[in-house]
Amino acid sequence: MAADNETPEPHQGFLARLSAAETIVLAIIALIALAGLLLIGKGFYMKAKAEVSQVLLKRTFEAQLHGNPDGKPWPWADFQTAAEISAPRINRSAIVLEGASGEALAFGPAWLTTTPLPGNEGTSVIAAHRDTHFRWLKDVNPGDLLVLTRKDGRRFLFRAGESRVARWDESGINASASGHHLALATCWPFDAIEQGPMRYIVDAELIGEQRPVPLTTGSISK
Amino acid sequence: MFLDDEIASTKTRQNEARWGMYLALAALAACILMFIGLMTQASAQTPDAKPQQMAGYVRPNDMGTGALLFPSKEPGYFVEAPRLATDVQIDVNGPIMRTRVTQRFENPSKGWVEGTYVFPLPEDSAVDTLRMQIGDRFIEGQIKPRQAAREIYEQAKAEGKKAALLEQQRPNIFTNQVANIGPGETVVVQIEYQSAVRQSNGLYSLRFPMVVAPRYNPQPIVQTVDLDSRTGYAVSDPVPDREKIGAPVLDPKANAKINPVTLTVNLKAGFPLGDVKSAYHAVDIANLDDLSRRVTLKGDSVPADRDFELTWKAIEGKSPYAGLFRETIGGKTYLLSFVTPPAAAEANAKPVKREVVFVIDNSGSMAGPSMEQAKESLALAISRLKLEDRFNVIRFDDTMSVHFPELVEATPDKREDAIAYVRGLTADGGTEMLPALEAALRTQGPVQAGALRQVVFLTDGAIGNETQLFEEIQKNRGDARVFTVGIGSTPNSHFMTKAAEYGRGTFTLIGSESEVAARMGELFTKLESPAMTDIAASFEGASAGDITPNPMPDLYRGEPVVLTAELDGTQPQGKLQILGKAGDQPWRVEMDIAKASAGQGIAKLWARRKIDDLEASASTIADPATLDKRIETVALAHHLVSRVTSLVAVDATPSRPASENLSETKLPLNLPAGWDFGKVFGEEPAGNAPGKVDERDAALESRTKLAMVTADRMLAAPTARAAGLLAEANNQVALPQTATEADRQILIGLMLLAFALLAGTTFVFWRAPIAAVVNAGVRRRGR
Repeated sequence: MAADNETPEPHQGFLARLSAAETIVLAIIALIALAGLLLIGKGFYMKAKAEVSQVLLKRTFEAQLHGNPDGKPWPWADFQTAAEISAPRINRSAIVLEGASGEALAFGPAWLTTTPLPGNEGTSVIAAHRDTHFRWLKDVNPGDLLVLTRKDGRRFLFRAGESRVARWDESGINASASGHHLALATCWPFDAIEQGPMRYIVDAELIGEQRPVPLTTGSISK
Repeated sequence: MFLDDEIASTKTRQNEARWGMYLALAALAACILMFIGLMTQASAQTPDAKPQQMAGYVRPNDMGTGALLFPSKEPGYFVEAPRLATDVQIDVNGPIMRTRVTQRFENPSKGWVEGTYVFPLPEDSAVDTLRMQIGDRFIEGQIKPRQAAREIYEQAKAEGKKAALLEQQRPNIFTNQVANIGPGETVVVQIEYQSAVRQSNGLYSLRFPMVVAPRYNPQPIVQTVDLDSRTGYAVSDPVPDREKIGAPVLDPKANAKINPVTLTVNLKAGFPLGDVKSAYHAVDIANLDDLSRRVTLKGDSVPADRDFELTWKAIEGKSPYAGLFRETIGGKTYLLSFVTPPAAAEANAKPVKREVVFVIDNSGSMAGPSMEQAKESLALAISRLKLEDRFNVIRFDDTMSVHFPELVEATPDKREDAIAYVRGLTADGGTEMLPALEAALRTQGPVQAGALRQVVFLTDGAIGNETQLFEEIQKNRGDARVFTVGIGSTPNSHFMTKAAEYGRGTFTLIGSESEVAARMGELFTKLESPAMTDIAASFEGASAGDITPNPMPDLYRGEPVVLTAELDGTQPQGKLQILGKAGDQPWRVEMDIAKASAGQGIAKLWARRKIDDLEASASTIADPATLDKRIETVALAHHLVSRVTSLVAVDATPSRPASENLSETKLPLNLPAGWDFGKVFGEEPAGNAPGKVDERDAALESRTKLAMVTADRMLAAPTARAAGLLAEANNQVALPQTATEADRQILIGLMLLAFALLAGTTFVFWRAPIAAVVNAGVRRRGR
């Protein structure tokens, strides 16, 4: 494994010919390599978890729309799905979970339960990780259509507005503002590797509700 | 060594080796430097992410005493309105006390504002009255269902009228929003509430929150923000151990001058009084007669950064062990009864051996600060165990594991072992509580003779199968007591209160890290004292009444049984019977209802407790709307503020003739009957001793200074309407952290690999020369 990288077995008995000190040095090097591999593995595991859980969540959400409200994406899941959000122009979508507590954000975007349900009066907020589910948020342009399907089957169309950058505690989002708004938030800058205080926010305004629920995105019916 | 010959053969090779060595070292140094750079950058970033507490700016959840807050220019922060005067009057009548707090504030700015008056109160207080004077308007609050009250308030606000709305945020935190305060206007707020006197070990006590908010606190205070969707404020319980704040607050001496507090306690204990003491404040105590005292804060006394606490005792041998009081309202009789179990019953229940099973939730929903709090709490609990106790630790997510195969003696090394185990836990996975509960209740072997079995559950309660869990507790608790500890900013209180009730234990809520020590301390005291159990109350020969609390909780050392009841009719007959068990010894008390003496405010106390009972029964009522309706009915009938009812006041009758021009008179002349604002007004310096004048001037000066500073920081609006909009804009949503560590970990991992590769290659190619250098060094030293 790790040690193979550095000790390509040039001649037989290579290890046997090492002195004690050299063995220790080699072991340390091997350990460092192993730690590196573990970290890489963990990082990719997080990303894989985010992807796989979305696939499972999508399946559960479909079932929920078809009248099976108790379905769980996996037996030990301890959260609820809330909605599905999609951006048809760039062909992206994600299942939104209820509440951003604990680990929920690792599995999908989360609707902050302190804000109104998307589509209701007020400004509701959906947040997700910039390096997984909301990686595509930077591609959402002003004027883009955002489609949000709630668990109760109602489907709302939002028009994305300008995006902006703000500190996490100075978001300028007022949950009880008048009108029907949706704010999508993720961390900023997108390519940073550390966690930071800045957030990238896309404000969107409700433009209408799509009545029946055919499972395709059709034209706007106002 | 076999390399030695090679070294000896040539000197030039040794030189080469040295160069190689330097090269390898340089590569190593470069790698280390890169790592250090990466780490420091990361840590330099973190403090940035925390909210900064700015001098002079506060947040609603920082308030330790009643305060009027105005939106500030700094989004999300508030400034405290200069508090000109505070008057507190507490009337103690037997076991009941009524508190009236009157405070005068000023809007120092040149614009219109919407202020928020935040005040913490004791947990069991029943708030029923709100009166305000804003400028020249008097308004009195009416009780309304919460939603209706808010609509009335919003409408009045939009119309530019003066209005106030008093809402309950938590059972012990209330906010009062005041709309349309004009430039330079003075606001007088008066609230009244009812609560029960606390009794323990024959000692009676009352507490009034008086902590000066940490206004000049340079330390960043990090709090879990739990936003209320309706108001947008994050309001949390005040920190219980004030000493810990340790912040340089306003110098109390200076503060007293700009913020005078007067406090009067009219103490009518109902029994011959012995010692009356104030723990933290200097007081004057006037003896009125054997049964009553008047307690006032000393003139030059300053509001310390402590709550005001008054304790009193009966004279030796005259301490009442039981009491029964009644009040008749609306054709119904309300009873208040307290009984202290005889000391004999307690004496034979000495501190016993305990068998404690700790259950800790390490599921994914606990990730972050919750897990840290849980770990810290549990470590503290384990370290408090005594040698004769036995214990075990169970952790669960969607899997579970039991740390020791069976209950073990709490020897120091076993405790260390368990604490290390707990500290190593990480939050991950789902929540499957049932297996852990089963393990805690069923598989820990029989309870040893004379031992007390306790199960302590630390969780945020994020579960779906509540009913199943309740059943498990009811069926299998045996002699065990289940204590729940709620962790995090929004634990599932309903579940935990109910679980503790079924398990005949208590529920402890830990909202933030700073509360861990104090709250767990309270819990330990309960865990370590023996209890009076199986308490039940009933009426004999009287029409069945509605008794609260229901069911009766266990009692801990020195606590009395305190119950309130509602009975039909104005002249009920019969007997009140209370049964209980101290260890194995049964205990029973009977009281004749007809002999009860008259009391006041009992109905309100009963209503408040009834609401608590209803809230706790949430899980058994399927439809939340039904529960809300029931609470609303009780609260409206007794004029109480609750989760579903609020007090709203809109520009009531201007209490002066319209012809009179009021804007010029600063002080109100004719207050409506029953209104007593006098104490916070009229403090003209005339007739004072000459020596005091300087002091007053100084006070005035610092007050003006403070007012200017406040005005400077306030976000005032030119019109009343704009003030409302500004206040709205201040209600911001805080966004969660939305970056994973995945990218960083992958990057660090790659760098580690690269480093290993580099080092490995160097090693393979330069093995011989490096060894030569090392050996040479060794040999030189050897000589």
